[in-house]
Amino acid sequence: MTTTWKNPISAFDPEKPVEEVVTNDYLSPQSQWDATRSYNVPTPPVGRLRYYHKWAGHGDKLWHRLRYWPTRRRVLDISGGYNSKTLRRQKTIEDKRPIWWILSLLALAIAPFFIPENQQNALLTAGAVFGIYAAINLCWMLIIGTAGIYSLATYAVVGAAAYGSAYMSIHMGLPWWAMPLVGSVVGLVFGIIIAIPATRLEGFYYALLTLGLVELCRVYVIQSREFGSATGGLYGADSYIPQDWPQHAQLLLGYYAGLVLMILGLFLFRFVNGKRLGRVLRMAPEKREAFAEATGVNYRAARIQVFLISSLALGFIGGFYSAHFRGAAPSLFSFDTMLLSLAMLVIGGLGRAEGAVLGTLIVVFIDRVLVDWGPMRFVLIGTLMLLVVLFLRGGLFGIKEQFRAWRDKKKSENRSSRAEKGGEMLPEEATETENKDIIYFRRFDKMQRDFLKKLITPEIIEEHRKRPLGQHSEALERVLTYFRRQPQNDKYAITVIEPFKSYRLVALSGTRGVAPRLVEDKTYGSPDEAYHALFLRRVQDLLEA
Amino acid sequence: MAQIKVFGYTDKISVKPGDELTFHVHADGTDKAMAQLVRLIHGDEHPSGPGFIEEEIASPLNGEWKVRKQYTQVGSFLTVDDPGQRLGQNGDFTLCAFIYPTLHGNGMRQALLGRWDIYRNEGFALWINQKGFLEFGVGDGEEVDYLAAEAPLIRNMWYFVAASYDRKSGKATLYQECVATRYNSLLSKVVPYDYRSHVRETFRFTPKNPKDLPFLVAGARDWHEVRGPFVAQNFNGKIDRHGMFDRVLSREELDNIRDTGKPPRSGIIAYWDTTAGYTDYGIGDEVRDIGPHGLHSKGYNRPVRAQTGFNWNGRNDSFRLAPQEYGGVEFHNDAVIDCKWEPTKSWTVPELKSGAYAMRLRAGDGKGLGEEYVVFFVRARVPKARIAFLVPTASYLAYANEHLSFDAQMVQPISGQPPIVSEIDIELYQTKDFGLSTYDHHADDAGVCYSSYRRPILNMRPRSRLSSMGITWQFPADLSIIGWLEHLNYDYEVLTDEDLHVDGLAALKPYNLVINGSHPEYYSEEMLDATEDYIAEGGRLIYMGGNGYYWNIGFRPEEPWCMEVRKLDSGMRAWNARPGEHYLVTNGQRSGLWKNLGRPPQKLTGVGFISQGFESARPYRRMPDSYHRRASWMFEGIEGEIIGDFGLAHEGAAGIEIDRYDLSLGTPPHTLIVAASGGHSDNYMLVCEEILYAYPGMTGTHDYRIRADITYFTAPHDGAVVSTGSIAFGQSLPFNNFDNNVSRLLKNIVDAFAKKGKLPGWAWTAEEKQWR
Repeated sequence: MTTTWKNPISAFDPEKPVEEVVTNDYLSPQSQWDATRSYNVPTPPVGRLRYYHKWAGHGDKLWHRLRYWPTRRRVLDISGGYNSKTLRRQKTIEDKRPIWWILSLLALAIAPFFIPENQQNALLTAGAVFGIYAAINLCWMLIIGTAGIYSLATYAVVGAAAYGSAYMSIHMGLPWWAMPLVGSVVGLVFGIIIAIPATRLEGFYYALLTLGLVELCRVYVIQSREFGSATGGLYGADSYIPQDWPQHAQLLLGYYAGLVLMILGLFLFRFVNGKRLGRVLRMAPEKREAFAEATGVNYRAARIQVFLISSLALGFIGGFYSAHFRGAAPSLFSFDTMLLSLAMLVIGGLGRAEGAVLGTLIVVFIDRVLVDWGPMRFVLIGTLMLLVVLFLRGGLFGIKEQFRAWRDKKKSENRSSRAEKGGEMLPEEATETENKDIIYFRRFDKMQRDFLKKLITPEIIEEHRKRPLGQHSEALERVLTYFRRQPQNDKYAITVIEPFKSYRLVALSGTRGVAPRLVEDKTYGSPDEAYHALFLRRVQDLLEA
Repeated sequence: MAQIKVFGYTDKISVKPGDELTFHVHADGTDKAMAQLVRLIHGDEHPSGPGFIEEEIASPLNGEWKVRKQYTQVGSFLTVDDPGQRLGQNGDFTLCAFIYPTLHGNGMRQALLGRWDIYRNEGFALWINQKGFLEFGVGDGEEVDYLAAEAPLIRNMWYFVAASYDRKSGKATLYQECVATRYNSLLSKVVPYDYRSHVRETFRFTPKNPKDLPFLVAGARDWHEVRGPFVAQNFNGKIDRHGMFDRVLSREELDNIRDTGKPPRSGIIAYWDTTAGYTDYGIGDEVRDIGPHGLHSKGYNRPVRAQTGFNWNGRNDSFRLAPQEYGGVEFHNDAVIDCKWEPTKSWTVPELKSGAYAMRLRAGDGKGLGEEYVVFFVRARVPKARIAFLVPTASYLAYANEHLSFDAQMVQPISGQPPIVSEIDIELYQTKDFGLSTYDHHADDAGVCYSSYRRPILNMRPRSRLSSMGITWQFPADLSIIGWLEHLNYDYEVLTDEDLHVDGLAALKPYNLVINGSHPEYYSEEMLDATEDYIAEGGRLIYMGGNGYYWNIGFRPEEPWCMEVRKLDSGMRAWNARPGEHYLVTNGQRSGLWKNLGRPPQKLTGVGFISQGFESARPYRRMPDSYHRRASWMFEGIEGEIIGDFGLAHEGAAGIEIDRYDLSLGTPPHTLIVAASGGHSDNYMLVCEEILYAYPGMTGTHDYRIRADITYFTAPHDGAVVSTGSIAFGQSLPFNNFDNNVSRLLKNIVDAFAKKGKLPGWAWTAEEKQWR
């Protein structure tokens, strides 16, 4: 398959014999194009129908943007842009959560008016409990999710505050409006006490410690006469619910009070998690603390701060609790309360406010409304929790993200199974490529490479070795022209260690300001040797692609 | 410890004994460097030549210098001298500008205009945010409050943008409208983009407005612990007329500015009419304020003036014809005209032999980046020699700090070889501080049209090699000619292009013979006129290069260190000027090839650019005309017909870039071709200005025109010109220690030309009778 090539420049050296070089037979570069007539894989139509509405731009109309006073946050995070398929102006609401929150809260606010008569009592009671538990879970979420402290002592704080405020109300006549305040103080004191070991204990050990603490509280109140060991709790505290109101009105008031408590909890969550403290802590997720610390993030102080703020809030909720239920019961410290609460967090998804609230809603609904199911409802909660833990990475609210990740994985799997390595773009990839020229370039480049691979023979490699620069046979010149025309990034070059003595191979970055990288350790004694070594690397890359 | 690096430049490139010369040196990783004054004799380290030769010169400057780290302000912008703090408005205000952004939305903020402190978050300004949206922001020293437009700006489109601020209510209003005409922008109106955006929002606080905060256009003030204040977040693109008003302009008023470019009568604090003050002979750095306070602004790092503006409609192709349509001022975040380093040493040049000199600075181990040659040229105070070597410094500027091997995909196909980059090339690629060459592109792909020597020029160093071609280039290549003059003990002096440009004919007149360098490609009209007059008045020129007298360039009279060129229409060029931007701002002339301006190089030298290929070179063979007695004296002592089948540039005297005789382009009709090369490889392609239709076979082995001609013609008053038509010629001289037939040929010519009076063979002018 070889022939000889006569160097046309030889004519200018008439005294010497014509220079002949062994090279390849002629092969038409068009052969590759004639042989390639279609994709090797099926090409079904691509494109996705836009079935949802996209707002148009304002054009020359003035757009008044609103903010949440007094912050600089816009009411909705709206971004304007152009549809890449039509170039039509469009607006996208980047974060639709505010809309969902408002709709959900509205639904909760008007829900009592749509409850059937016969379920009023059960549902409104459950609603109030939902509000209180949601508030507790939001605070707990701050501790577990934001601060990353595995504290199970949440109910110890709530309970202590509830017992403390109930006790003071019963024995000292503390009015209902002061009970949450007293509860806050108790919560803060309790928080400080529990926070001290948190600075030294990690994860599992701290969870154990706090678990013990809760149990200690429970045993204490059960056995303490002061705290109603005889009556099974402390009762008779003052309440914000006037006892002379009709029962329905009392329930309604309790329901809305619980709702307001939850909203307060949401604000607290937003202001801790979404502001500086939360950001600092997101810099220091579990197992990356050392890195965060090295970069100057004082995550320990931030964690303790979050812990204390949450404890204070939990104390407030405890005070509210006893003002709501006119007292406190040891069940607050019970293991099943804690486990139910944990189930609420896990089902909703750790680290998100909406997770805490939805999780609470589901569990409270099952626990308090489906009372007829009996113990089966705990089996249901357990099953739910198990399923969530087994199949979802971020609870119910992580489903969207998880789905997208899964979809992307499938997409790339599909593409890689369809496409050839270094081949043409397939329709699904091409449609997302803005510069359509690149699509054609990929096609051309593939043809070119498939053709040039056939030209690589020992003969042309030998020809290059003998004369790296200058006039070459047609086959070698084709290959070289292709190599020289490659884009700059990762294009091979030579670097000089010592002029005319020592050279090495590098690859260019193609990005201004970024130095080339060394590609191997070898050094070459002359430019010609380096040229040839570089050529061999390019040949290898061509054959491998 | 940081790697030790030392770099420097001088404030002048050409000095006479008695002149003041200042060295500006920057060092990294050390505070001292050993200085040694040297005279440079030969640079190319190719093993076929004599290697690097320098001569150490005793000087009081020699010894240890205290050096330090110096900082370079990179990027072009406008500054305003505003002592009355009029632009530091504490009431309502409106900012507006016509803009043509070219590189936004890449994660970098680009400031348009205003008073903004990046470090302290103070002031107010209009900018383009990281995502490519127009944004107006105010800062109170703690926080920034901002308002962004609804749609991103599209690259390479003209917009009129404005932001107004009502202090009392805190209301800020943003105005964005497209003002593209059929000619001045990238996209036509067939594209269904809706470019408009008008947004209003209420800010939470009022801007803090410290007194020392400067009003900048196309940049914002930043601060660094060691360096102090500097300008960052530079804008890329063009800004046409812009202004500031002391009230909130209504939508109608802004619409009116958008349509006319003229400000409303009342409320102007400043309105910079970028087109004011143009002259037919050039435009300076001052942008005039036509408002009541005359707050003129000044360009830093030479923003490119008089580019096509928001209202350019294609009918006029020069700012001289329609200044009002040429209000564009082009800014780049990587422009460097003058490093403005603090002087390290000043020196009154003593009586030195005229030649190429350098201050050799060594720091650390004195190798690689630890060694620097700060090159300058010393001409004779009073010319005495008969021979002058004209150093083509204007062309050195054109190639100063080129990055082609790293940035240009086309360079490997052009040069037919992979690049060989050095440590210094890599350093140059990594830093922005040393600027770009006229072969590079700015970050937004616009061609670089200015180049100056008030910055370290790392390839104007004696041992530097052109990475993409594997040979020496310009200064180090020209040292082979200086080395030859030295080796043969000629009495010669040097001149630079700057002297030729400034002094004109007077610079050349004292000499019998002027030898030009290997690649004198860039010529101003003054330089070309002086050379032409010199030859016409009896001077003799050896043009010892290829692709010379090619581009028309301009210098501002008061700033000869900065050269301007526009590459356009045809010619082998690294970039293409945008439509309508073909005139030199420095002198009002049309740039491009001298050929396209009616002065092809053939008219002056007999030859002009025909081809280039950088992977091989060829010998010349004597042509029949060389046997005529008018020219045969040149070949005395030379055996055989082949000349220069050796050399330091790919082993041939004819190659790299080559020139050809062409009567149709004005080669003097009595010109002789005494020798010509042939057999160039197919990497030698016909130059594009010779191509009307492209067809197969425009390469070395197919096209007879691809060759280097050595031509000779006589001029009035015993003047004469020999052209070698090849860059590689000079690099063949040092072969075999200057003992070779190229050297002999040149010696014969120089000996004859340096003598006053009749040229050898002058009498052999009768008609040939061919009776032999």
